[in-house]
Amino acid sequence: MNFGKILRRADALHWQLTRDYAFKSDLKIKWVRPEKIPCTKPEKSGDLGKLPAVNEKEFLLDYNNSKELQRADSTVQSLFQLGNNRLGDTSRYLREQMIKDVQRHPLDYGSMEVKLAKMTVRIRIMQEQLDKFPRNTKLKVALKELIDKRKKFLKYLRRWDYRRFEWMLEKLDLVYKPPPAEFHWITRKESLQKLTDAHCEKIKEERLAEYRNLLNKQKIPFLEDAIKKMEFVRREQIDLDIPITVTEEQIADFKKELEFLTSQRDLQLEDKE
Amino acid sequence: MASRGAILLGQCMPCIKKNASKIRIRRMELDKNLNMYFKKEEFFFAHDPEKVCKTGDIVLIRELPQRLTRLISHEIEKVVYPMGDITDPLTGKKVVVGKYRDQIEEANRLYGKSEKAFDYEKAPPRGRLEGTRDFTHGETYIKYHEDGKDQPFAV
Repeated sequence: MNFGKILRRADALHWQLTRDYAFKSDLKIKWVRPEKIPCTKPEKSGDLGKLPAVNEKEFLLDYNNSKELQRADSTVQSLFQLGNNRLGDTSRYLREQMIKDVQRHPLDYGSMEVKLAKMTVRIRIMQEQLDKFPRNTKLKVALKELIDKRKKFLKYLRRWDYRRFEWMLEKLDLVYKPPPAEFHWITRKESLQKLTDAHCEKIKEERLAEYRNLLNKQKIPFLEDAIKKMEFVRREQIDLDIPITVTEEQIADFKKELEFLTSQRDLQLEDKE
Repeated sequence: MASRGAILLGQCMPCIKKNASKIRIRRMELDKNLNMYFKKEEFFFAHDPEKVCKTGDIVLIRELPQRLTRLISHEIEKVVYPMGDITDPLTGKKVVVGKYRDQIEEANRLYGKSEKAFDYEKAPPRGRLEGTRDFTHGETYIKYHEDGKDQPFAV
């Protein structure tokens, strides 16, 4: 039998209460759709740190220690400075610096740490480039793929060697968040359901806390009363020579609890003042 | 059922419950129609007030004679393999992927170990980056609402 139909006959009830489908909530919960952050942005890729500033007067990587260049004319020198060369040379220089920070020994160019460092430098350079040229689709795709690959490598490293993984996160200034259990599109309906659930849970907690406070407040008067009554009963039993059911230990226990509760109350009052 | 105290081997999963760890037990189940085995996952909550096991650890759990709460039915017996800190059961040495850790260290020493490189002796135990850089101790979710507050587990 449909209870909705029966209820609808009673005119006093609001139509919303009697409808059994398409229920619309009366709660004033406002849902704000989170803004979409592209996966290539540092917030999403987990890059907290930025690339170090490069001194443009620095020489190219292979000419760093050349004595001839240091003795050379200033115009010749300027030809070998990072600022006057391609971006690729600067990124090579940065990559070398980052690798030197994490590599196990001077000849190490293949360990997981070095791979991650290399990728991180490339990702950060590509992110800067993509900010300048947002319509460079090939760059965007390559960047996305590289970020995914780095995430996969971080996942492996975490499984292999946890402490090294943590050390890497600190060294490269990264944040690692595991992927969520399942993918779903963000919809208004589902989000509102979740928010309503959270709202109900909050109300439940509040009411429970209120009730708990109420019961706690009644504890001290109850104990005082109980001690008085127990002492009276014990005195009467001793006077009348009937079997004693209330022992002194029981009364002592109650007194101890009362003392504890009053001391706690006093402490709370002091804190408030 | 409750009195046998069965021991199970499983993996620790991220869990928000206090005093308890969520353990995943994986078994293979036969599909009679296809005559093939498929993975079947079961989840148990094990009593763990000191949070001995962390996400990803392989642990042994023992069934309690009585349920502690509606959810908690097991207790942690032993952490067999902490995640990312594997010991080879035959030799008792530490292993990273396919090599012993001391072999790697020896190779580094022969090539001349870099001072900035990672050192096992100086490295603190796992868990110091929880909540700042490493968010594997909780479940992440797709962000569905913008409330102006920081949501660390939102992806």
